Amino acid sequence: MSQPIVLGIETSCDETAIGIVQGRTLLANVIASSVEEHARFGGVVPEIASRAHLEAMMPSIEKALTDSKLTLADIDAVAVTAGPGLVGALLVGVASASGLALGLGKPLYGVNHLAAHVSVDFLTHDQPLDPTIALLVSGGHSSLLQVDDITQTITKLGATMDDAAGEAFDKIARVMQLGFPGGPAIDALAKSGNATAINFPRGLTTSQDWETRPFDFSFSGLKTAVARYLESTPNYAKTDVAASFQESVVDVLMLKAIAACKESGIDSLAIAGGVAANSRLRAVATERCEKAGIRLRIPSPALCTDNGAMVAALGSLMVAAGRSPSPIAFDADSGLPVTTIAL
Amino acid sequence: MSNSLVIDTSTNRTVVGVVTDGKLIWSGHRDGATAHGPSLPLLVQEAIAQHSIDQVIVGMGPGPFTGLRVGIAFAHTFARARNIQVIGVCSLDAIAAQIEEKDFIVATDARRKEWYWARYTKGIRIGEPAVSFPADVEALGHNVHFALFPDLIAMTNLATQGSITEPMYLRRPDAVATADRT
Repeated sequence: MSQPIVLGIETSCDETAIGIVQGRTLLANVIASSVEEHARFGGVVPEIASRAHLEAMMPSIEKALTDSKLTLADIDAVAVTAGPGLVGALLVGVASASGLALGLGKPLYGVNHLAAHVSVDFLTHDQPLDPTIALLVSGGHSSLLQVDDITQTITKLGATMDDAAGEAFDKIARVMQLGFPGGPAIDALAKSGNATAINFPRGLTTSQDWETRPFDFSFSGLKTAVARYLESTPNYAKTDVAASFQESVVDVLMLKAIAACKESGIDSLAIAGGVAANSRLRAVATERCEKAGIRLRIPSPALCTDNGAMVAALGSLMVAAGRSPSPIAFDADSGLPVTTIAL
Repeated sequence: MSNSLVIDTSTNRTVVGVVTDGKLIWSGHRDGATAHGPSLPLLVQEAIAQHSIDQVIVGMGPGPFTGLRVGIAFAHTFARARNIQVIGVCSLDAIAAQIEEKDFIVATDARRKEWYWARYTKGIRIGEPAVSFPADVEALGHNVHFALFPDLIAMTNLATQGSITEPMYLRRPDAVATADRT
């Protein structure tokens, strides 16, 4: 029997994304972004994102079907991001998914956005995904997770106490007038800058922090330090600021991720989320994991940012593991904890 | 004989019905201003367990955005899954169809102390629906019918007159451009 085909829907933020996966083969990955509509507001406006999701939903589903050369009759299950995310945005995806599942008479899986980010690597690397430590870094989240079983057991080791890592990139980019989103702009500038030019602080890395909150992050102090530096340094070198700021974020993320691997005795690290597309994080992760004897799993940049393939991938894993589908009616949960992998 | 699945989520009530040849053969509703998401699939599941569906008719508002989108998003994917058409109608018109008066106004709660409303003369809507403060609507001097729900049979009648494809939001999203902040 051929492996089941799962259609995944993601609408937790500003990306309307549809993925289609068969087993661990990616058949379609369509992303319609409303990011340009948000740019002049310096951040994602929830109502603009929700309207864009509704507008983009049907065309995105059609494109995914065309790309995969499938019809809806071929779909065996529907998966959707149930949370966390913007509630109005999530609801467009959940309503679309339940309409599809009821219309087709196929099972529905409401899954966790964060777990989906981690699971997407299952599409690119053939070794079993779990157990692994996962570093999840995006505009909305920065967490260290212990993944014992991606379909049912994830433990949160730590998370950011203030800004998410990607949020810090956005805020610094805004102060430096680099536009929104800030990640790609800072990444590009940093390539020609000196990462050791300015010694920006590394949040939560004092010896006391290592004892009390070893796997938590804080980026607000760094943000303030960069802002102060910019104010007090007329004609600052943008490239050096970008490189030094980025180095501070990447350094802390990797210090804590590798410490989590060592403490848990799990010699596998998966990095996921939009910030995992950052070229410096990828380079430092590769270098330090190799040195520490840790197997690194990091998806291609296109699968790091929000996408539907990751939702379909987690759905596919749920089906393969024989997990029960979600009830046909459930509410989107903007604060869904990462420990709840599916509803 | 053709069965229409009729859905409206433009008010605090999620309404679902099956209409055949102008007769309501199944209907159900669930109340809750933020409950459209879980309510709608439950109602539709019950409706389709008993009846086959040949087309979907959905209320396009005006109505509070988040709930309104639940109905529209669901209607479109459900219809696509069954390869049947979906027709959008004005929810206020489906409320007005129940009222037999010469000149009146239909209003629904738009939140933020405002109403969505439209004026009807001899059953015909005058102009486009709008969003205004109640006092301004009442000052027009017409009888106001407030807090009613769309009639499902009326929705199927409206569907024969054409389809509304865009959600009737009537408000812009709240947001101030970075350049305009003070």
